[in-house]
Amino acid sequence: MSLNINGKIRRVDVLPQETLAYTLRYKLGLTGTKIGCNRGECGACTVLVDDIPNYSCSTLTHSVRSRGVLTVEGLQAPDGTLHPVQQAFIDELAPQCGFCTPGQAMAAVGLLKDNPNPTREQARQALSGNLCRCGAYDNYLNGVMRAAGGKA
Amino acid sequence: MSNYKHIGKDFVPPDITGKVTGKARYAEDFRADGMVFARLYTSPMAHGRVTNIDTSALDGMEGIVGILTADDVPAVEAPNAAILTNTPVYIGDPILAVAAEDEKTAEDALARIRVHIEPMPFTVDPLDSLIEGGPNAREEGNVFSRSSEGSGFRTVKWTPQQIADFRAGKEPTGEWVNEWRYGDLEKGFADAAVVVEEPFVTTGYAHMSMEPRTAMAYWDNGRCYVYGSAQSQSFWIPGLARLLGVEQKDVVLISEHTGGGFGSKIGAYPIAALPGWFSKKIGRPVQLRITREQEYYIGSARVGFQGWIKMGFAASGKITAADIFIVEDIGPNATGGDASSAGGAVSLVYDPESLRFRGLPVLTNTTPRGAQRGPGQNQIAAVMAPLMDKAARQLDIDRLEIRKINAVNNDSTVYENQEPVTSAYMKEALDKGAEMFDWATKRNKPKTNGSKVIGIGIGQGYHSAGTKGFDGLLRITPDGKIHLHSGVGNLGTYSYASTTRAAAEVLKCDWEDCVIERGSTDANLPWSSYQAGSVSIFAHTRTNYVAALDAVQKMKQIAAESLGGNASDYDIDGKNVFNVKNPRQSISYGGAAARAIQLGGSYSGAVYPDDIHEITKRSVERLAGSGLIGVAKDNLEQNGVIPGLACAFVEIELDLETGKYDILDYVGIAECGTVVHPQGVEAQMKGGAVWGMGMASLERHVYDPHNGLPANVGYYQCGIPTYLDTPLHIRTAAVDLPDPQNPFGARGIGEPAMGCSVAAVTSAISDALDGHVFGRTPISRDMIINHVAEREQSFKPLQTNNF
Amino acid sequence: MASYDVMPDVQLYQPAEMDDALELADRFGRDGWILGGGQDTYGWLKDRAKHPKAMIDLNGIEALRGVRKSDDGIEIGAVTTLREIIRNETVNAEYELLALAAGRVASPQIRNVGTLGGNLSQDARCWYYRRGLACYRAGGNICYADSPQGMNREHAVFGASRCVAVSPSDTAIAMVALDATMVVQSVDGERLVPAERFFVGPATHITKMTSMRPGEILTAVRIPSTWAGARFYFEKVADRDVWDFALVSIAAAMQVDNGTIGDSRIVCGGVACTPHRLRDAEKALAGKSLSDETAEFVAPLASRGAKPLNYNHFKLPLLESLLRRAVRG
Repeated sequence: MSLNINGKIRRVDVLPQETLAYTLRYKLGLTGTKIGCNRGECGACTVLVDDIPNYSCSTLTHSVRSRGVLTVEGLQAPDGTLHPVQQAFIDELAPQCGFCTPGQAMAAVGLLKDNPNPTREQARQALSGNLCRCGAYDNYLNGVMRAAGGKA
Repeated sequence: MSNYKHIGKDFVPPDITGKVTGKARYAEDFRADGMVFARLYTSPMAHGRVTNIDTSALDGMEGIVGILTADDVPAVEAPNAAILTNTPVYIGDPILAVAAEDEKTAEDALARIRVHIEPMPFTVDPLDSLIEGGPNAREEGNVFSRSSEGSGFRTVKWTPQQIADFRAGKEPTGEWVNEWRYGDLEKGFADAAVVVEEPFVTTGYAHMSMEPRTAMAYWDNGRCYVYGSAQSQSFWIPGLARLLGVEQKDVVLISEHTGGGFGSKIGAYPIAALPGWFSKKIGRPVQLRITREQEYYIGSARVGFQGWIKMGFAASGKITAADIFIVEDIGPNATGGDASSAGGAVSLVYDPESLRFRGLPVLTNTTPRGAQRGPGQNQIAAVMAPLMDKAARQLDIDRLEIRKINAVNNDSTVYENQEPVTSAYMKEALDKGAEMFDWATKRNKPKTNGSKVIGIGIGQGYHSAGTKGFDGLLRITPDGKIHLHSGVGNLGTYSYASTTRAAAEVLKCDWEDCVIERGSTDANLPWSSYQAGSVSIFAHTRTNYVAALDAVQKMKQIAAESLGGNASDYDIDGKNVFNVKNPRQSISYGGAAARAIQLGGSYSGAVYPDDIHEITKRSVERLAGSGLIGVAKDNLEQNGVIPGLACAFVEIELDLETGKYDILDYVGIAECGTVVHPQGVEAQMKGGAVWGMGMASLERHVYDPHNGLPANVGYYQCGIPTYLDTPLHIRTAAVDLPDPQNPFGARGIGEPAMGCSVAAVTSAISDALDGHVFGRTPISRDMIINHVAEREQSFKPLQTNNF
Repeated sequence: MASYDVMPDVQLYQPAEMDDALELADRFGRDGWILGGGQDTYGWLKDRAKHPKAMIDLNGIEALRGVRKSDDGIEIGAVTTLREIIRNETVNAEYELLALAAGRVASPQIRNVGTLGGNLSQDARCWYYRRGLACYRAGGNICYADSPQGMNREHAVFGASRCVAVSPSDTAIAMVALDATMVVQSVDGERLVPAERFFVGPATHITKMTSMRPGEILTAVRIPSTWAGARFYFEKVADRDVWDFALVSIAAAMQVDNGTIGDSRIVCGGVACTPHRLRDAEKALAGKSLSDETAEFVAPLASRGAKPLNYNHFKLPLLESLLRRAVRG
């Protein structure tokens, strides 16, 4: 089938039961999306499907055939400029071990597409489906607020 | 405020960009040509003996490449964990692995394999094993004691009356195996104005690092390449080599990023060697993906405590005596030792005049235990805080004051041997925290608002925070670049980078001229400490310091040799080595490096010191001739205990009707000597705060005692705190006073950052409920509801598994 | 055990028309699995604890999406996502109870794809059952939770009948409180099931949570105008405020006129295998003034008749507190 990943059409063979996380990681070479639990209980696999945050581990690849999928690899501009969320996460030293970071970034990008000027409370509600075992929530929120242009 | 060029200043760690772009690679992200996918079969029984493995149903199945059983890997001596076992000792113990061309086929194969296991007696609560007639977790016994005098199994039983008395909070009279003490305990209690005596439980719970410990391996030219999930880098090599049955020079660990460890990936663990053994057997690269459920099983957990504590306080508030007895749950592999550390933590943080520790490590058939962020220290921190509060109330002393009265300081002597501390500024930390938190105002605020009550708490955390004797290595190349070789693992603390700033500091160079070499042990790294126990900052600012001094000395010698005079005539300015009396007589760092190559000898690494580790020697040999080498072992003086300390102040609003609380304010203060990396310390204090909140109310193991089944094998049931269970803001600061035994004054902070949090929260919950001491972590919603409703709790005192 | 983790072979059908979906459901019967958002599907299949032959994905059927005004109230297509419900103007203006309930389900990503139908028909969360053990609910003849040492903190205090699992759905209690009717279709036609009869307890059917039969598809939920604009209260008490299911939850709808309570619906979750209506409390409230005294007066009715298990007697005072709070507001 053809999939629209990060603005490019990619052709790939997909089993009916295959999950999007698996397709991304093992068939498309896009290992930025992480598998933390494979059960929709951690958020590390978050991607955007038509701008809406989804757990890719709990999404059938067959259900995103005609939709646009955005992964962490698609956030940078073609010239390498980082997305404001990525830059803000760096500036606030949000990632610690970094394993949850792609998922947090995608949830944050999804939030800002939907609500470009969130309050800190709205930001944490929007990211609440993303676990961080390192406990870096405060700095991730600082990053989201910085990316949104507000003060942490 | 830092007067240094690099130390005490923030910087952008080189690996952080990869984390936000997805380019950072973890073990499961690597691929190799011809790689096959392996899956584990884990024990469905808490304790058993495999009598038959029937793989006949796999005959004719396409895509199956091989099977690995316990017979294919080295056996180990009980109670150590094997790579694969035929005598599982917990549900989840790996028995065999299947490799196939894809994961689904491997799992289809698992579904067809029949493993016959003869069940054996098991236990999931130490007290159920300790009681006369109770089952033993292992055939060899129910107690395992590791000590320098000799380790071994024992069988220890207490009478039902002794167990009942223990549950009732009386001083235990049953047998114990570990003991140490100092001071005159009897006199201490005799002198006490107030005595506090309480039982306590802190349940164990899983590390559940975000990245499961997937590993991939293949062999090339007799060397095994392991892509693993490791907290440490160089430190893994000896253990990994042993597990694989090869020499250290024949194993390579590639671990560029690790998704959390928290103590569970400190050194090489058995499953990390499985792909290597499997790959050797079938001749193809093998990826063993560990699932979340398996990470729960084999990914380690905190040791559980069931204990009793009695403390005597003088009228001044000073602790005159502390008597601590801990039964610790050391899982099935006897990996624990938290209890004695807990005693040590009390002796340091609160500096009591006399102390006795007694401990009994009991085996259970639950997931294996291991060091978890502040192992022992953080459990006891949670226990101590409400008890300090209780004593303060009985003595009519302010709860902050009682902690200041007992606070460890530069003159304290600690642990069994009453050693000195390198430095300790707990009082200063408490004062700073109290001011930021506004303790003075908050403690007088009205407490009740409808069904909600306010509680404020103070917590203190500690872990020893340094070590010595490791190696530093750097290389200056003719282009003037300074290569800082970091053998420190990358588990998310950025210490792999922040410690190298010490070298840049000594060299006075710009950070832009530095490159950090790391990520694979083939990158010519020095022998380094493990990344655990909060040691890295202290140990590796020292190693980088001595390696840089070595490089500076060599550059001065080269300058003297080239330009005349003696090395002592020369100094450095970050880019050049120049004659102090005539600065235009100079040679650039790059020029010195080129000259070093020509001169050879110790300048270029052809000759190196005798006392460095064999791993460092190999690295220097491979680098020799490519630039100017700075290499040295940290032989700087070090004596006494190096403390990492922290305190926290917490304000909660607890809803008496629902048992839930919001944290309205959290202030954490780090006392870790000089702050090397401000954002790094802040990250540890914030992350530790969240860990403490999890331990205080949410996280616990649950096992059904009847069948040994674990209830919380996934992220959902493990109860890790989310964005909505932690405060909207966390405030942190640091005391930032230098320690005399580190060239920059630095000590570590990773573990105390959590201890202060769990302690402050248990203190705040107790305060909200008029000083009620639950004596248990986690303090779950149902416990608070039952207490407020004046109903008894659902569980027996000291019972674990209350779900 | 293998601790499986990868989706096994299973067929996938993605019909674009309702008739095709019904035909597939009829053809596969018990071997078919109706797919909405899939958030209570893939885990079962990855664990190999359930083994359908085919997934019948309803997401392509436009007729099953959306909130529509009907002659009396609203009708919500079963494949409408929780995200759409939470943001829907009409739901928020008149039936806010449903929006409040939907807003507390799981986590944002799950709400983004999870459907109303899926949330209503979700399976029990008893950890023994979820582990794939052969208990009553799984067709066996034992209950692990209701045993002398069973770890049953999350389990039922009402309506136990061999099985003590609880209804985990947040939207279910809102639907019962709003007097909703479920529209169930099959190749044989359509039947309308009042919400209270849609959810079944173990005494009626021990292996399923709803009265749906193999081959049937929940296509819509109709909410009458009865409770439009009423006084609503929703609260869910759980260990964590994301992902976790309710320890106890409450959905209340009350007609209040000049400070006097008229008719009401008060439904609790997490305490029985179906949404648990507090009928005694509803009767006692009728005619009383909306006040703290009334709240205090009715509170004990919430726990009347409760039968606690080893570890869940905390649910009794919690039930009483939630009823008190529902009246207090």
